[in-house]
Amino acid sequence: MSREDEARLADRLIAGDPSAFRELVAAYQRKVYGLAYEMTRNHDDAEDVSQITFMKIHKAIGTLKPGFGLNTWIYQITHNAALDHIRKRSFYPKEALPSRASAPHPQEPPDSAPGPEERAESAGLRRRIDEALAKFSERERAVFILRHYHDLKVKEIAQTLNVSLGSVKSYLFRSIQKLQKELDLLEPCPGDGERP
Amino acid sequence: MKRCRYWRKRIPEAIYGELEPKTREKMDRHLAGCRGCAALFERMAAAVRKMEVRPAPDRSPQFWEGYWDRLEARMGLEAEAPEKARAGSPRPRTFSIPAWAYGLAGALLFLSLGIFIGRTVLRPGAELAPLVRAKSSGIAPGGQPGLETGRVVPALAVRASRYLKRSRVLLLAVVNSDPKDEEPFRLNLPLQKRTSEELLQEAAVLKKGLGSADRRLERLISDLEMILLQIANLTSESDEAAIEIIRAGVEGRDLLFKINLSETLRPAAKSSAGQPPGSWGGNGNPAPVRTAAAA
Repeated sequence: MSREDEARLADRLIAGDPSAFRELVAAYQRKVYGLAYEMTRNHDDAEDVSQITFMKIHKAIGTLKPGFGLNTWIYQITHNAALDHIRKRSFYPKEALPSRASAPHPQEPPDSAPGPEERAESAGLRRRIDEALAKFSERERAVFILRHYHDLKVKEIAQTLNVSLGSVKSYLFRSIQKLQKELDLLEPCPGDGERP
Repeated sequence: MKRCRYWRKRIPEAIYGELEPKTREKMDRHLAGCRGCAALFERMAAAVRKMEVRPAPDRSPQFWEGYWDRLEARMGLEAEAPEKARAGSPRPRTFSIPAWAYGLAGALLFLSLGIFIGRTVLRPGAELAPLVRAKSSGIAPGGQPGLETGRVVPALAVRASRYLKRSRVLLLAVVNSDPKDEEPFRLNLPLQKRTSEELLQEAAVLKKGLGSADRRLERLISDLEMILLQIANLTSESDEAAIEIIRAGVEGRDLLFKINLSETLRPAAKSSAGQPPGSWGGNGNPAPVRTAAAA
Protein backbone atom coordinates (compact mmCIF):
# COMPACT_ATOMS: atom_id res chain seq x y z
CA MET A 1 0.00 0.00 0.00
CA SER A 2 1.45 3.32 -1.08
CA ARG A 3 1.66 6.34 1.18
CA GLU A 4 -1.20 7.99 -0.73
CA ASP A 5 -3.42 4.94 -0.38
CA GLU A 6 -2.55 4.77 3.28
CA ALA A 7 -3.50 8.41 3.82
CA ARG A 8 -6.74 8.00 1.87
CA LEU A 9 -7.69 4.95 3.91
CA ALA A 10 -6.95 6.85 7.11
CA ASP A 11 -9.18 9.70 5.96
CA ARG A 12 -12.01 7.30 5.21
CA LEU A 13 -11.66 5.68 8.59
CA ILE A 14 -11.80 9.09 10.25
CA ALA A 15 -14.88 9.96 8.20
CA GLY A 16 -16.58 6.81 9.52
CA ASP A 17 -16.77 4.92 6.22
CA PRO A 18 -18.05 1.46 7.27
CA SER A 19 -16.22 -0.35 4.49
CA ALA A 20 -12.89 1.30 5.27
CA PHE A 21 -12.18 -0.90 8.26
CA ARG A 22 -12.77 -4.07 6.25
CA GLU A 23 -10.40 -2.75 3.60
CA LEU A 24 -7.82 -2.02 6.25
CA VAL A 25 -8.09 -5.57 7.56
CA ALA A 26 -7.74 -6.98 4.06
CA ALA A 27 -4.72 -4.79 3.38
CA TYR A 28 -2.90 -5.50 6.63
CA GLN A 29 -4.03 -8.94 7.76
CA ARG A 30 -1.00 -10.74 6.35
CA LYS A 31 1.45 -8.16 7.66
CA VAL A 32 -0.12 -8.15 11.10
CA TYR A 33 -0.30 -11.91 11.17
CA GLY A 34 3.29 -12.20 9.94
CA LEU A 35 4.69 -9.97 12.66
CA ALA A 36 2.52 -11.64 15.29
CA TYR A 37 3.73 -15.04 14.16
CA GLU A 38 7.38 -14.04 14.27
CA MET A 39 6.92 -12.64 17.75
CA THR A 40 4.88 -15.50 19.19
CA ARG A 41 6.31 -18.27 16.96
CA ASN A 42 3.00 -20.04 17.04
CA HIS A 43 0.21 -19.96 14.44
CA ASP A 44 -2.70 -20.07 16.90
CA ASP A 45 -1.20 -17.30 18.99
CA ALA A 46 -0.50 -15.33 15.83
CA GLU A 47 -4.14 -15.46 14.80
CA ASP A 48 -5.24 -14.49 18.29
CA VAL A 49 -2.81 -11.56 18.39
CA SER A 50 -3.79 -10.41 14.92
CA GLN A 51 -7.49 -10.39 15.86
CA ILE A 52 -6.74 -8.51 19.08
CA THR A 53 -4.72 -6.03 17.05
CA PHE A 54 -7.58 -5.33 14.66
CA MET A 55 -10.04 -4.98 17.51
CA LYS A 56 -7.74 -2.46 19.15
CA ILE A 57 -7.42 -0.61 15.88
CA HIS A 58 -11.22 -0.57 15.54
CA LYS A 59 -11.58 0.89 19.00
CA ALA A 60 -8.90 3.50 18.37
CA ILE A 61 -10.16 4.76 15.03
CA GLY A 62 -11.58 7.80 16.81
CA THR A 63 -8.07 8.88 17.78
CA LEU A 64 -6.83 8.96 14.18
CA LYS A 65 -5.89 12.32 12.72
CA PRO A 66 -5.85 13.29 9.05
CA GLY A 67 -2.57 12.40 7.38
CA PHE A 68 -1.77 9.92 10.11
CA GLY A 69 0.79 7.25 9.18
CA LEU A 70 -1.25 4.06 9.40
CA ASN A 71 1.61 1.71 8.70
CA THR A 72 3.80 2.35 11.74
CA TRP A 73 0.73 2.76 13.95
CA ILE A 74 -0.60 -0.68 13.02
CA TYR A 75 2.79 -2.30 13.49
CA GLN A 76 3.11 -0.58 16.84
CA ILE A 77 -0.23 -1.98 18.01
CA THR A 78 0.66 -5.43 16.69
CA HIS A 79 4.02 -5.42 18.41
CA ASN A 80 2.52 -4.35 21.72
CA ALA A 81 -0.29 -6.89 21.46
CA ALA A 82 2.24 -9.62 20.73
CA LEU A 83 4.37 -8.64 23.70
CA ASP A 84 1.29 -8.59 25.93
CA HIS A 85 0.37 -12.02 24.67
CA ILE A 86 3.86 -13.40 25.24
CA ARG A 87 3.92 -12.04 28.78
CA LYS A 88 0.49 -13.39 29.56
CA ARG A 89 1.48 -16.74 28.18
CA SER A 90 4.51 -16.48 30.51
CA PHE A 91 6.43 -19.19 28.74
CA TYR A 92 7.16 -20.34 25.26
CA PRO A 93 5.47 -23.66 24.61
CA LYS A 94 8.55 -25.00 22.96
CA GLU A 95 6.89 -28.23 21.94
CA ALA A 96 4.38 -26.16 19.98
CA LEU A 97 7.00 -24.30 18.03
CA PRO A 98 6.47 -25.15 14.44
CA SER A 99 9.31 -26.72 12.65
CA ARG A 100 8.90 -25.14 9.31
CA ALA A 101 11.45 -27.42 7.80
CA SER A 102 9.79 -30.66 8.84
CA ALA A 103 6.24 -29.47 8.21
CA PRO A 104 6.29 -26.84 5.51
CA HIS A 105 3.41 -24.46 5.54
CA PRO A 106 0.82 -25.02 2.84
CA GLN A 107 1.11 -21.45 1.70
CA GLU A 108 4.87 -21.48 1.41
CA PRO A 109 6.02 -21.38 -2.16
CA PRO A 110 7.20 -24.73 -3.35
CA ASP A 111 10.91 -25.18 -3.36
CA SER A 112 12.35 -24.22 -6.66
CA ALA A 113 15.23 -26.58 -6.10
CA PRO A 114 14.95 -29.29 -8.69
CA GLY A 115 16.31 -32.31 -6.91
CA PRO A 116 15.68 -33.91 -3.50
CA GLU A 117 19.17 -33.02 -2.29
CA GLU A 118 18.64 -29.35 -2.95
CA ARG A 119 15.22 -29.49 -1.32
CA ALA A 120 16.70 -31.13 1.76
CA GLU A 121 19.46 -28.54 1.89
CA SER A 122 16.95 -25.74 1.59
CA ALA A 123 14.81 -27.23 4.34
CA GLY A 124 17.86 -27.57 6.56
CA LEU A 125 18.76 -23.94 6.01
CA ARG A 126 15.21 -22.83 6.83
CA ARG A 127 15.38 -24.83 10.04
CA ARG A 128 18.69 -23.20 10.95
CA ILE A 129 17.26 -19.78 10.24
CA ASP A 130 14.27 -20.56 12.47
CA GLU A 131 16.62 -21.65 15.20
CA ALA A 132 18.71 -18.51 14.79
CA LEU A 133 15.62 -16.29 14.96
CA ALA A 134 14.53 -18.11 18.11
CA LYS A 135 17.80 -17.03 19.72
CA PHE A 136 17.14 -13.35 19.04
CA SER A 137 15.87 -11.17 21.84
CA GLU A 138 12.31 -9.86 21.43
CA ARG A 139 13.64 -6.47 20.36
CA GLU A 140 16.19 -7.88 17.93
CA ARG A 141 13.56 -10.12 16.39
CA ALA A 142 11.05 -7.30 16.05
CA VAL A 143 13.64 -5.00 14.43
CA PHE A 144 14.94 -7.65 12.08
CA ILE A 145 11.49 -8.89 11.02
CA LEU A 146 10.17 -5.37 10.46
CA ARG A 147 13.22 -4.53 8.39
CA HIS A 148 13.51 -7.77 6.47
CA TYR A 149 9.93 -8.91 5.88
CA HIS A 150 7.94 -5.71 6.26
CA ASP A 151 10.39 -3.41 4.57
CA LEU A 152 10.17 -0.72 7.21
CA LYS A 153 12.97 1.82 7.18
CA VAL A 154 15.19 2.13 10.23
CA LYS A 155 13.47 5.40 11.11
CA GLU A 156 10.02 3.84 10.85
CA ILE A 157 11.11 0.93 13.02
CA ALA A 158 12.32 3.41 15.62
CA GLN A 159 8.89 5.08 15.57
CA THR A 160 7.08 1.76 15.72
CA LEU A 161 9.05 0.38 18.64
CA ASN A 162 9.43 3.76 20.29
CA VAL A 163 13.20 3.51 20.53
CA SER A 164 16.04 5.66 19.23
CA LEU A 165 17.43 5.42 15.73
CA GLY A 166 20.81 4.34 17.10
CA SER A 167 19.20 1.54 19.08
CA VAL A 168 17.43 0.23 15.99
CA LYS A 169 20.71 0.26 14.07
CA SER A 170 22.42 -1.62 16.89
CA TYR A 171 19.62 -4.19 17.16
CA LEU A 172 19.68 -4.71 13.40
CA PHE A 173 23.46 -5.11 13.34
CA ARG A 174 23.39 -7.55 16.24
CA SER A 175 20.56 -9.59 14.76
CA ILE A 176 22.24 -9.96 11.37
CA GLN A 177 25.50 -10.85 13.04
CA LYS A 178 23.77 -13.50 15.16
CA LEU A 179 22.11 -14.87 12.05
CA GLN A 180 25.40 -14.90 10.21
CA LYS A 181 27.19 -16.69 13.04
CA GLU A 182 24.45 -19.30 13.30
CA LEU A 183 24.46 -19.91 9.57
CA ASP A 184 28.25 -19.91 9.35
CA LEU A 185 28.19 -23.06 11.45
CA LEU A 186 26.39 -24.66 8.54
CA GLU A 187 29.12 -23.96 6.06
CA PRO A 188 30.61 -27.27 5.09
CA CYS A 189 34.24 -27.88 5.85
CA PRO A 190 36.08 -29.34 2.95
CA GLY A 191 36.10 -33.08 3.27
CA ASP A 192 34.02 -33.68 6.38
CA GLY A 193 30.62 -32.14 5.83
CA GLU A 194 29.15 -29.74 8.39
CA ARG A 195 31.26 -28.14 11.02
CA PRO A 196 30.22 -29.07 14.59
CA MET B 1 39.83 1.96 13.28
CA LYS B 2 37.35 4.69 14.15
CA ARG B 3 36.24 4.77 10.51
CA CYS B 4 35.90 1.00 10.53
CA ARG B 5 33.56 1.18 13.53
CA TYR B 6 31.50 3.84 11.81
CA TRP B 7 31.15 1.89 8.57
CA ARG B 8 30.58 -1.44 10.24
CA LYS B 9 27.62 0.03 12.11
CA ARG B 10 26.15 1.06 8.79
CA ILE B 11 26.50 -2.31 7.07
CA PRO B 12 22.86 -3.34 7.73
CA GLU B 13 21.61 -0.10 6.17
CA ALA B 14 23.82 -0.72 3.18
CA ILE B 15 22.57 -4.30 2.84
CA TYR B 16 18.95 -3.12 2.87
CA GLY B 17 19.69 -0.21 0.54
CA GLU B 18 18.92 2.53 3.01
CA LEU B 19 22.12 4.51 2.54
CA GLU B 20 22.14 7.65 0.44
CA PRO B 21 24.02 7.12 -2.84
CA LYS B 22 26.85 9.42 -1.74
CA THR B 23 27.20 7.65 1.60
CA ARG B 24 27.16 4.30 -0.15
CA GLU B 25 29.96 5.46 -2.46
CA LYS B 26 32.05 6.49 0.54
CA MET B 27 31.37 3.17 2.15
CA ASP B 28 32.38 1.30 -0.98
CA ARG B 29 35.63 3.26 -1.03
CA HIS B 30 36.25 2.26 2.58
CA LEU B 31 35.43 -1.38 1.87
CA ALA B 32 37.77 -1.36 -1.08
CA GLY B 33 40.62 -0.35 1.19
CA CYS B 34 39.70 -2.36 4.29
CA ARG B 35 39.72 -6.12 3.99
CA GLY B 36 38.27 -6.66 7.48
CA CYS B 37 35.22 -4.49 6.87
CA ALA B 38 34.77 -5.90 3.38
CA ALA B 39 34.81 -9.45 4.73
CA LEU B 40 32.30 -8.58 7.45
CA PHE B 41 30.06 -6.89 4.91
CA GLU B 42 30.18 -9.92 2.66
CA ARG B 43 29.42 -12.36 5.48
CA MET B 44 26.48 -10.32 6.73
CA ALA B 45 25.11 -9.76 3.25
CA ALA B 46 25.39 -13.48 2.56
CA ALA B 47 23.46 -14.25 5.74
CA VAL B 48 20.68 -11.89 4.67
CA ARG B 49 20.66 -13.44 1.21
CA LYS B 50 20.18 -16.85 2.76
CA MET B 51 16.94 -15.59 4.25
CA GLU B 52 15.46 -15.97 0.77
CA VAL B 53 14.80 -19.62 1.49
CA ARG B 54 12.53 -18.58 4.32
CA PRO B 55 9.56 -16.64 3.02
CA ALA B 56 7.36 -14.55 5.28
CA PRO B 57 5.02 -16.74 7.30
CA ASP B 58 1.66 -17.13 5.68
CA ARG B 59 -1.45 -19.29 5.85
CA SER B 60 -3.56 -21.10 3.30
CA PRO B 61 -6.04 -19.19 1.10
CA GLN B 62 -8.88 -20.87 3.05
CA PHE B 63 -7.53 -19.38 6.23
CA TRP B 64 -7.59 -15.89 4.77
CA GLU B 65 -11.00 -16.36 3.17
CA GLY B 66 -12.54 -16.95 6.55
CA TYR B 67 -10.40 -14.43 8.41
CA TRP B 68 -12.81 -11.49 8.21
CA ASP B 69 -15.76 -13.64 9.30
CA ARG B 70 -13.88 -14.94 12.30
CA LEU B 71 -12.71 -11.46 13.22
CA GLU B 72 -16.22 -10.03 12.83
CA ALA B 73 -17.70 -12.80 14.95
CA ARG B 74 -15.16 -12.21 17.67
CA MET B 75 -15.72 -8.47 17.60
CA GLY B 76 -19.46 -9.12 17.90
CA LEU B 77 -18.89 -11.40 20.87
CA GLU B 78 -16.55 -8.95 22.55
CA ALA B 79 -19.08 -6.15 22.04
CA GLU B 80 -21.93 -8.25 23.42
CA ALA B 81 -20.05 -9.51 26.45
CA PRO B 82 -19.90 -6.21 28.35
CA GLU B 83 -23.50 -5.41 27.42
CA LYS B 84 -24.66 -8.79 28.75
CA ALA B 85 -22.64 -8.30 31.86
CA ARG B 86 -24.19 -4.89 32.34
CA ALA B 87 -27.73 -6.18 31.72
CA GLY B 88 -27.32 -9.41 33.69
CA SER B 89 -26.17 -8.03 36.96
CA PRO B 90 -26.23 -4.62 38.49
CA ARG B 91 -22.82 -3.11 38.23
CA PRO B 92 -21.18 -3.31 41.58
CA ARG B 93 -20.21 -0.07 43.09
CA THR B 94 -16.56 0.30 42.73
CA PHE B 95 -14.64 2.31 45.22
CA SER B 96 -11.24 3.15 44.00
CA ILE B 97 -8.67 4.70 46.24
CA PRO B 98 -6.52 7.22 44.42
CA ALA B 99 -2.83 6.49 44.24
CA TRP B 100 -1.86 9.62 46.19
CA ALA B 101 -3.88 8.36 49.16
CA TYR B 102 -1.70 5.28 49.39
CA GLY B 103 1.38 7.48 49.26
CA LEU B 104 0.04 9.75 51.98
CA ALA B 105 -0.93 6.82 54.18
CA GLY B 106 2.52 5.31 53.73
CA ALA B 107 4.23 8.59 54.60
CA LEU B 108 2.08 8.98 57.73
CA LEU B 109 2.81 5.42 58.75
CA PHE B 110 6.55 5.97 58.41
CA LEU B 111 6.32 9.23 60.31
CA SER B 112 4.38 7.59 63.16
CA LEU B 113 6.82 4.71 63.24
CA GLY B 114 9.74 7.14 63.36
CA ILE B 115 8.18 9.08 66.23
CA PHE B 116 7.41 5.87 68.10
CA ILE B 117 10.95 4.54 67.71
CA GLY B 118 12.44 7.90 68.59
CA ARG B 119 10.36 8.17 71.74
CA THR B 120 10.65 4.64 72.97
CA VAL B 121 13.93 3.22 71.78
CA LEU B 122 16.39 5.91 70.87
CA ARG B 123 15.56 8.65 73.33
CA PRO B 124 17.00 8.27 76.80
CA GLY B 125 14.68 8.48 79.79
CA ALA B 126 13.17 11.79 80.69
CA GLU B 127 15.37 12.16 83.73
CA LEU B 128 18.46 11.25 81.74
CA ALA B 129 17.84 14.10 79.39
CA PRO B 130 19.22 16.93 81.47
CA LEU B 131 22.87 16.38 80.92
CA VAL B 132 25.25 18.05 83.18
CA ARG B 133 28.24 19.51 81.51
CA ALA B 134 31.08 19.66 83.87
CA LYS B 135 32.61 23.01 84.28
CA SER B 136 36.21 23.57 83.64
CA SER B 137 36.65 23.80 87.38
CA GLY B 138 35.84 20.13 87.60
CA ILE B 139 32.81 20.73 89.82
CA ALA B 140 29.58 19.46 88.45
CA PRO B 141 26.24 20.99 89.35
CA GLY B 142 25.28 19.68 92.70
CA GLY B 143 28.77 20.17 93.98
CA GLN B 144 29.97 16.71 92.96
CA PRO B 145 33.72 16.76 92.62
CA GLY B 146 35.82 14.50 90.49
CA LEU B 147 34.34 15.11 87.08
CA GLU B 148 36.81 15.41 84.32
CA THR B 149 36.91 18.71 82.51
CA GLY B 150 34.40 18.98 79.71
CA ARG B 151 32.93 15.55 80.35
CA VAL B 152 29.22 15.00 80.15
CA VAL B 153 27.73 12.94 82.97
CA PRO B 154 24.05 12.22 83.28
CA ALA B 155 22.71 13.28 86.67
CA LEU B 156 20.68 10.10 86.91
CA ALA B 157 23.81 7.98 86.57
CA VAL B 158 25.27 9.67 89.65
CA ARG B 159 22.07 8.97 91.52
CA ALA B 160 22.07 5.35 90.39
CA SER B 161 25.64 4.97 91.52
CA ARG B 162 24.76 6.25 94.99
CA TYR B 163 21.81 3.93 95.11
CA LEU B 164 23.96 0.95 94.23
CA LYS B 165 26.57 1.91 96.78
CA ARG B 166 24.02 2.17 99.55
CA SER B 167 22.37 -1.06 98.46
CA ARG B 168 25.69 -2.87 98.52
CA VAL B 169 26.45 -1.71 102.05
CA LEU B 170 22.97 -2.71 103.19
CA LEU B 171 23.22 -6.13 101.57
CA LEU B 172 26.62 -6.74 103.10
CA ALA B 173 25.25 -5.83 106.49
CA VAL B 174 22.36 -8.25 106.19
CA VAL B 175 24.29 -11.05 104.51
CA ASN B 176 27.10 -10.93 107.02
CA SER B 177 24.93 -10.43 110.07
CA ASP B 178 24.97 -12.99 112.84
CA PRO B 179 22.50 -12.68 115.72
CA LYS B 180 24.94 -14.38 118.05
CA ASP B 181 27.62 -11.83 117.38
CA GLU B 182 28.17 -8.77 119.41
CA GLU B 183 28.02 -5.27 117.98
CA PRO B 184 28.89 -4.09 115.36
CA PHE B 185 28.00 -7.29 113.46
CA ARG B 186 24.49 -7.58 114.73
CA LEU B 187 21.72 -6.07 112.70
CA ASN B 188 20.31 -2.75 113.69
CA LEU B 189 16.95 -3.68 112.20
CA PRO B 190 15.10 -0.33 112.38
CA LEU B 191 17.99 1.37 110.59
CA GLN B 192 18.24 -1.29 107.88
CA LYS B 193 14.46 -1.33 107.37
CA ARG B 194 14.37 2.42 107.00
CA THR B 195 17.29 2.30 104.57
CA SER B 196 15.51 -0.39 102.60
CA GLU B 197 12.36 1.71 102.35
CA GLU B 198 14.36 4.69 101.20
CA LEU B 199 16.16 2.62 98.63
CA LEU B 200 12.88 1.15 97.42
CA GLN B 201 11.56 4.64 96.83
CA GLU B 202 14.79 5.56 95.09
CA ALA B 203 14.57 2.40 92.96
CA ALA B 204 11.12 3.40 91.75
CA VAL B 205 12.38 6.83 90.72
CA LEU B 206 15.47 5.38 89.03
CA LYS B 207 13.50 2.78 87.09
CA LYS B 208 11.10 5.41 85.86
CA GLY B 209 13.95 7.67 84.86
CA LEU B 210 16.02 4.99 83.19
CA GLY B 211 13.21 3.67 81.05
CA SER B 212 14.81 1.48 78.44
CA ALA B 213 18.04 3.49 78.27
CA ASP B 214 20.02 1.08 80.45
CA ARG B 215 18.36 -2.29 80.60
CA ARG B 216 21.16 -3.94 82.56
CA LEU B 217 20.92 -1.37 85.36
CA GLU B 218 17.16 -1.54 85.30
CA ARG B 219 17.24 -5.32 85.77
CA LEU B 220 19.72 -4.97 88.61
CA ILE B 221 17.49 -2.43 90.34
CA SER B 222 14.52 -4.77 89.92
CA ASP B 223 16.48 -7.64 91.47
CA LEU B 224 17.55 -5.40 94.30
CA GLU B 225 13.98 -4.31 94.89
CA MET B 226 13.00 -7.87 95.74
CA ILE B 227 15.72 -8.16 98.33
CA LEU B 228 15.11 -4.68 99.70
CA LEU B 229 11.46 -5.56 100.12
CA GLN B 230 12.38 -8.67 102.06
CA ILE B 231 14.68 -6.62 104.28
CA ALA B 232 12.00 -4.01 104.81
CA ASN B 233 9.63 -6.79 105.88
CA LEU B 234 11.98 -8.42 108.37
CA THR B 235 10.22 -8.71 111.73
CA SER B 236 13.10 -9.59 113.97
CA GLU B 237 16.87 -9.50 113.95
CA SER B 238 16.87 -13.10 115.11
CA ASP B 239 14.63 -14.36 112.31
CA GLU B 240 17.35 -16.50 110.88
CA ALA B 241 15.12 -18.26 108.40
CA ALA B 242 14.16 -14.95 106.75
CA ILE B 243 17.74 -13.71 106.75
CA GLU B 244 18.85 -17.00 105.20
CA ILE B 245 16.31 -16.50 102.40
CA ILE B 246 17.67 -13.00 101.83
CA ARG B 247 21.21 -14.32 101.83
CA ALA B 248 20.29 -17.03 99.31
CA GLY B 249 18.58 -14.41 97.12
CA VAL B 250 21.63 -12.18 97.16
CA GLU B 251 23.95 -15.02 96.31
CA GLY B 252 21.63 -16.65 93.81
CA ARG B 253 21.26 -13.44 91.83
CA ASP B 254 24.93 -12.49 92.24
CA LEU B 255 23.75 -9.10 93.34
CA LEU B 256 26.97 -7.95 94.94
CA PHE B 257 28.94 -8.97 91.91
CA LYS B 258 26.51 -7.20 89.61
CA ILE B 259 26.67 -4.04 91.69
CA ASN B 260 30.45 -4.13 91.54
CA LEU B 261 30.35 -4.71 87.80
CA SER B 262 27.89 -1.91 87.30
CA GLU B 263 30.09 0.50 89.23
CA THR B 264 33.11 -0.59 87.27
CA LEU B 265 31.35 0.12 84.01
CA ARG B 266 30.42 3.61 85.16
CA PRO B 267 33.69 5.04 86.37
CA ALA B 268 32.66 8.65 85.92
CA ALA B 269 29.47 8.17 87.82
CA LYS B 270 31.28 6.10 90.41
CA SER B 271 33.91 8.71 91.01
CA SER B 272 31.36 11.45 91.15
CA ALA B 273 29.18 9.45 93.48
CA GLY B 274 31.76 9.44 96.19
CA GLN B 275 33.89 6.64 97.51
CA PRO B 276 34.85 3.66 95.40
CA PRO B 277 33.23 0.36 96.17
CA GLY B 278 34.41 -1.68 99.05
CA SER B 279 37.16 -4.19 98.84
CA TRP B 280 36.58 -7.09 96.49
CA GLY B 281 38.29 -10.39 96.06
CA GLY B 282 40.64 -10.94 93.21
CA ASN B 283 38.18 -13.33 91.56
CA GLY B 284 35.54 -10.63 91.25
CA ASN B 285 33.48 -11.90 94.17
CA PRO B 286 32.92 -9.84 97.24
CA ALA B 287 35.25 -10.57 100.07
CA PRO B 288 33.49 -11.38 103.34
CA VAL B 289 33.97 -7.95 104.81
CA ARG B 290 31.83 -7.07 107.71
CA THR B 291 30.59 -3.56 107.20
CA ALA B 292 27.41 -3.66 109.18
CA ALA B 293 28.37 -0.54 111.04
CA ALA B 294 28.43 1.43 107.81
CA ALA B 295 24.86 0.38 107.09
